Amino acid sequence: MERNVAIDTKNLTKKYGSKTAVDHLNLTVMEGEMLALLGVNGAGKTTTIRMLSGLSTPTEGEARILGNDVREDQDKVKSLVGISPQDTAVAENLTVEENLAFMAGIYLGRKEESKSRVEEILKGFHLEEVRAKKAKTLSGGWKRKLSIAMAIIGKPKVLYLDEPTLGLDVLARRELWREIESLKSQMTIILTTHYMEEAEALADRIAIMIDGSLVMTGTLAELEEATGKKGLEEVFVSVAEGSKA
Amino acid sequence: MNRTLQFSKRNLIEISRDVLSYIFCIGFPLVMLGVMTLVNESIPKEAGMTIFRIDNLAGGIGIFGLTFIMLFSAMAVSKDRTSSFLIRMYASPMKGSDFTNGYLLPMLVVALVQAALSFIVAFIISVTVGDAINPLGLLAGLASLLPSALFFVFIGILFGTLFNDKAAPGLCSIIISLGSFLGGIWFDAEATGGVMLKICKCMPFLYCTKSVRSAIHLEFGWEEFWLPLLIVTAAAAVMAVLSMLVFRTKMKADLA
Repeated sequence: MERNVAIDTKNLTKKYGSKTAVDHLNLTVMEGEMLALLGVNGAGKTTTIRMLSGLSTPTEGEARILGNDVREDQDKVKSLVGISPQDTAVAENLTVEENLAFMAGIYLGRKEESKSRVEEILKGFHLEEVRAKKAKTLSGGWKRKLSIAMAIIGKPKVLYLDEPTLGLDVLARRELWREIESLKSQMTIILTTHYMEEAEALADRIAIMIDGSLVMTGTLAELEEATGKKGLEEVFVSVAEGSKA
Repeated sequence: MNRTLQFSKRNLIEISRDVLSYIFCIGFPLVMLGVMTLVNESIPKEAGMTIFRIDNLAGGIGIFGLTFIMLFSAMAVSKDRTSSFLIRMYASPMKGSDFTNGYLLPMLVVALVQAALSFIVAFIISVTVGDAINPLGLLAGLASLLPSALFFVFIGILFGTLFNDKAAPGLCSIIISLGSFLGGIWFDAEATGGVMLKICKCMPFLYCTKSVRSAIHLEFGWEEFWLPLLIVTAAAAVMAVLSMLVFRTKMKADLA
């Protein structure tokens, strides 16, 4: 089945004064694909996500989300994307259900549609048992689930998950992986992470960023073949050391 | 409009679940109403001081309460700006006006509820002390409070936009003190006269108190009511434009 280009960047650059956070990024993500943007802290992953979601204006270059320019068609882009930021970003004094209803109201508008969508998400993300709990009382894992649920409740075509399992224990992380996997093929997803196993487990393709530059993109098999290494960690270390040389 | 209402609803829920908002926005003004009534009862009649007489006190407390609404407006905005929640909202289809109106509307609701409660208690006190305030006056006072409420809420939004959640409350407390004194809430500025009165007349706070007090007394002359109300309305309009411009500028800077 032919797929359209969901995300397309050409020389996308972000500079803060003399520092280049993202350096001439050329990236294409197809519809329905899950791409893991892999890199250590400060690699430029979050900055890239911010530009692709209209949160940050690129210094140079361009980016299109389903054909819409992130600069010129900001309103359209914002209606197409959902983001789960690195910090959980929930309304702490609202319950889980109220947080979801709030986001549904912002994105969907109509009361009946919002109400049914909230029920759908509560069920789909197994949040029913905590629906009446205030967000501030939730554990880290539940908050992350809520954050992702809030990102998808507006039925985005493109979803950005910025370090979704950061700080979670292994069990909470595995549970969240299951939820993320259930979203695959429903929408285009960019997942930023510095956990190798997360990128390996979830992503269709992996893009490695080092010091603001995209150094390699491909499936795990393609990356292994290109570097002659086995396993994503070895691939990453090889690429990172190679870029420093 | 729907997004504004959704954001307003969220902010109203946040305020209503904050215990401090009940203490400062409702409890404290009512306590001051009771305390200053006791002070008034203790002042000898020969002193001729009427500033704490319940019909004057009600208007003063009405404005005093609004200064705390300003504080909570500032805290609501600054807290959101320092948390990543606003980042999520910036990525949504919400516009700058949705944000500022979304902070304004619930604060106005709280302001009117606070003022209504203060005036009800003031009425009860006035009946108790044998000097009942005309309920029509209290209704007129409530209506005339609206421009003052807008003025203070917009100051709160401005401070919350400009300063973080540590600095904003501190700066608001300066305005609370200034507003109380320069607004003639705790002393009779007009009777004091001199330099003090000149200073009070240079700030909008005195006109806030004057317009509400005149309305409660059902005095609608140009000098007593309409001129002060006009000044407060103009001040509210200036604050509205300033706060919206600053919010939009800060939002653009955050997204740069």
